[in-house]
Amino acid sequence: MGTGVELTQIINGCKSGDAECFAQVVDLYGGRCYGYFYRLTGDRDLSEELLSELFMKLVEKIGSYKGGSFESWLFRIASNIFHDHLRARKRQKKLFNGRRAELERRPSGSAQSDLTEDKLDRLQTQLNRLDADTRELIMLRYYSELSFQEIANLRSEPIGTALSKLHRALKKLRALMEG
Amino acid sequence: MGSGQSQSDLRELLDRFMDPSEAASAEREIRAGERLLDACPAPQVAPETLVAIKRRIAAQLGASHKPSHPFYRYVGAAAAVILVALIAFFGRSAPERPSVRYASLIPAAIWDSDDIAYDDMELAYFRSELRRVEAQMQALEAGDGDGAVAGGLDEVELELIRIERQFWKE
Repeated sequence: MGTGVELTQIINGCKSGDAECFAQVVDLYGGRCYGYFYRLTGDRDLSEELLSELFMKLVEKIGSYKGGSFESWLFRIASNIFHDHLRARKRQKKLFNGRRAELERRPSGSAQSDLTEDKLDRLQTQLNRLDADTRELIMLRYYSELSFQEIANLRSEPIGTALSKLHRALKKLRALMEG
Repeated sequence: MGSGQSQSDLRELLDRFMDPSEAASAEREIRAGERLLDACPAPQVAPETLVAIKRRIAAQLGASHKPSHPFYRYVGAAAAVILVALIAFFGRSAPERPSVRYASLIPAAIWDSDDIAYDDMELAYFRSELRRVEAQMQALEAGDGDGAVAGGLDEVELELIRIERQFWKE
């Protein structure tokens, strides 16, 4: 990840419409944002669509970024995109089923990769047993690397509430994975 | 993931909401949960996806920036000035005059130009030409007889055609 100064320069470049600077933002945050969308949807294609939508929205809205935590600003947009998607299409269940079918179709590899795939699958399955809000809180914390204060601000809830929800959610996820 | 500065505030925060033993336990549980996520990373985004996104951004920027370049703004404004001036002039003095090709003053090729330095030179020249035509039109508007107006109109039209053919297509 670039330093604060480098990031500021990149963002300034974005504000002046420099495509190269936007490309650097894509390189810096593409992986994390994809992981965030993937863990929320369990669907690769959809995650790519949402990722693309996120960066196009970034191009559109970069002028409104007035400083502060860029990650917080970016993940707020990502969160809005995800919620818009949920509201518009209401297909959480379908996504989960699609993901399960995809995994069932996947050809088996070596014993080691089977084990990894199984673990990945189980994590996604257990994540889908959590409610969408809780799942998003975990993923926001994990992929955005924001502080709890920033997460609480982003979600418009008291920091104690965000902290307590995350604690309960991770505890539950662990119990599900070990159960 | 989930490490660094964002982690350093965890214990401090927990201490604000819980007694020390509860905070220690909660911290252990949160860390264990995050280690679980570390152990099961999400798939990596395909490089071609990032390339496609970058290409899409570049296309969007290209589309949205071309018209905002000062050169393009100036050309648009100049065309508008000529249009308004000609409408005012013909509307007042000669309603039946043959049509003037003011709309073709800006050839399509100019919108495809990316050579700003070259365009700027052309812009300076174009500006001087416009001022000259404008001055001629003002002189015509202030002129005394219909004969002078009719002759002047032909001259203006020829001037516009000359600009189009010799200047923009060079």
